[in-house]
Amino acid sequence: MSDPVVRCRSISRTYQDDSVPVRALVNVDFDVDRGEFVSLAGPSGSGKSTLLNVIGGLDRPDEGTVEVDGVSLNELSESALSDLRLRKMGFVFQAYNLIPVLSALENVEFIMQLQGIPAQERHERARAMLDELGLSGMSDRRPGEMSGGQQQRVAVARAVVTHPVLLLADEPSANLDSRTTEELLKLLQRLNEDHGVTIVTATHDPLVMSYAKRQVRLRDGEIIEDSARQAA
Amino acid sequence: MSEAALDHASAEPGSGRGMPSIRIGWRNLWRNRRRTWLTAGGIAFSVFLVASFMALQVGQYDVMMENATALMSGHVQIQNPEYLDDARFEDTIEDAGALIDRIRATPGVLSVAPRVETFALASVGERSFGAQLLGIDIAAELETVRFVKMIREGRTLEGPDDAVLGATLARNLGAAIGDEVVILGSGREGGVAAMVLNVVGLLETGMADLDRVLMLAPIEPVRAAFGLGDEVHSLIIRAEDVARAPSLVRTLSEELPDSLEVRNWDRVLPELKQGIEVDRIGGRIMYGIIMALVVFSVVNSFIMTVFERTREFGMLRAIGMRPLRIILMLQWEAFFVCLIGVAIGLTLAVGLTLWLMEVGIYLGEAMQDYARQFYMPDRMYPALSLEALMVSPLVMFIGTQLAALLPALRIRSLKPVDALRGE
Repeated sequence: MSDPVVRCRSISRTYQDDSVPVRALVNVDFDVDRGEFVSLAGPSGSGKSTLLNVIGGLDRPDEGTVEVDGVSLNELSESALSDLRLRKMGFVFQAYNLIPVLSALENVEFIMQLQGIPAQERHERARAMLDELGLSGMSDRRPGEMSGGQQQRVAVARAVVTHPVLLLADEPSANLDSRTTEELLKLLQRLNEDHGVTIVTATHDPLVMSYAKRQVRLRDGEIIEDSARQAA
Repeated sequence: MSEAALDHASAEPGSGRGMPSIRIGWRNLWRNRRRTWLTAGGIAFSVFLVASFMALQVGQYDVMMENATALMSGHVQIQNPEYLDDARFEDTIEDAGALIDRIRATPGVLSVAPRVETFALASVGERSFGAQLLGIDIAAELETVRFVKMIREGRTLEGPDDAVLGATLARNLGAAIGDEVVILGSGREGGVAAMVLNVVGLLETGMADLDRVLMLAPIEPVRAAFGLGDEVHSLIIRAEDVARAPSLVRTLSEELPDSLEVRNWDRVLPELKQGIEVDRIGGRIMYGIIMALVVFSVVNSFIMTVFERTREFGMLRAIGMRPLRIILMLQWEAFFVCLIGVAIGLTLAVGLTLWLMEVGIYLGEAMQDYARQFYMPDRMYPALSLEALMVSPLVMFIGTQLAALLPALRIRSLKPVDALRGE
C-alpha cells in the first residue's frame, strides 16, 4: 500500500511573462511516496522547478490540489505555509542560500532555533549533523570562507537536521564541479537509504538523475515520462 | 556590544524559542561597514547637534530667567489684583508687616522686599521730569534683587532723606550727588504729596527705560508723605531656586487671602516667557528639520538593504521564517545602528557641554548690549538637562524604527519564489 508524502492532483500554473501567458504546469498529477528519491528532469521551462515550488508551498497552483504529509496546502495561509515548511520540509537551493553572517554551525542551528528547540539540544544536533556530513572542521567558518561544495553540504545539513518528511532540492549541483556533485549525491543517497529521507530534486544534470530511484521527465508543463509508472 | 551578550539576550529561558533576529541583526550591520558607519554617523551628528544646542538653549534660558528675576522683579510677586488692573495708588496690600512675617516663614522663601510705587514729578532747580518713585526697604531689597546694587556713583540709601536716581533721570534733571530733589505727587486721599530728598547715589541698570525714570527712596518716608499706613503695593519674593517658584506660588495662593494676587515670574515678565517660548519653538523647528533629514537618509539606507537582500529574505521565507520575524530582524538592525549613532553623538555632546559649562562661550563686544537687553551675561553657559539628553535620542530611535519599518513592510508581500529569483 502506497504512503504518499506528496499528492498533487490536476495541478496547473500559468505565469504572465511580459503579458504573454506561459503555461508552466498543465493538469499535472504527481505523487511521491515516503522514502522515495525522485528527480524531476527536463529542459529549461519544462515546469520542473515550478512543480518543486508548488510542492514546497513556495508557489500556489492556479488549479488543482496539493497535499504534503496529509495537509492540503491550498487552504493554508502564508503564515501557516511558513510553519509547514519549517516543520515538515527541508530546502536545498542552487545558490546554497546560507545566511552569510552566521557560521556553518549557526546556519544549521538557525532552523532549529526557529522551531524553538532548546539551545543545548540544537547545538548538539547541529554539531552531530556537521560531523556526519564531514564538516566537523568547518563549523566555525562562515559561508564566504567555504568552497561551493562545503556550502552545499552545510545547506543539506540545515535542510535535514530537523528530520523533515520531505527534502526539496532545486538544481543542487548547478554550481558544483562533477567531483563535488558526486560527493553531494552520495550524501543525498545515504540520507535517503540510511535515514529514509524522502527527496525530490529538480535537475537537468544526468548525474543527479542517475542517483535518483525514480526519474520523472517534464516538457511544456506536462509529465511525459515517469520511471515509477513504467516499472508498474 | 559582545556576541555573548547578544546570545544571552536572544535566549528566552525555558522555552528554547530564541530570538535569532537580534544576533543576525547585529551581524548584518557589519556586512556593509561603510553604509553602517555613514548611517550611524548621520545619527550621531544630529544627536550631537540637537543635544548640544538644546543644552545651550537651556543654559541660556536659565541665565535669562535668573538674571531677569534677580534684577528687579524677583521670582514671585504679590499685589492687590485691582492694582494690577489699573495701577491705582490706593489699591494697596494692607497689614503688610504681618503679611511679610508670614511669607518669610513659608518654606522655600529666601527673602521678601516690600515696595510702594507711584509716579511723581521730580524737580532739581528749574528742571522737572516725571519719575517712577519706589519706596523700598533697602536691606530687604539687597537680599532679594540686584538693581539696588548697581550704583554708578555715590552710595545706596541709608538715611530717611536719601534718594538714588536713575543715571539718565539725574542727567535730565541736571542733578548731581548732594543735590536736593523735590518730589510732588498725588497722595492717597487725593491731596498733594511732597518730599524733599538728597541725591546720594546714581543708579545705572543698563536698562535705558529704567534709568530714565527710576528714583529710589526709603519706604517709611514715602509712606508718610503719600498717606499710606502699614501698606505696600508690591511684595517681591526671592525663592530658594527659580525652579521652585511655581510650587511656592501654589503654596502662597492657598495660604494667603483671596484678595491677594500671587504671580510667578513668567506672569510678571510675560515678554521674557514669550521670548523663551518663541526661541524654543524656533529651535524645535530647526531640530525637527535636522532629524527629519537624517531619518530620510536612514530610510534610504534601509530601502537599499531590503532591495539588496531580497533573495536572502526569500530564502528565509522559504525555510519557514515568518515575515514578522524578518521585519523584526531589520528593526533590530535599525536599533543597533541608532544605538551606535546615539552613543557617539551623546558622548560628544556631553563632553562638549561639560567643557563649555566650565569656560562658557564669549559672545563678543558687539553682542554685549544685546545680551544686557535680554538679561544675559557676556558669556553663554550651556546646561545639561534631561530634556536635552533625551529628546534627540528618543526621536532618532522612533525615527529609525519607522525608517526601517517602511521598506521592511515590503517583506510581508514578498513571495518566496519571486524573491529567490531576485525579483
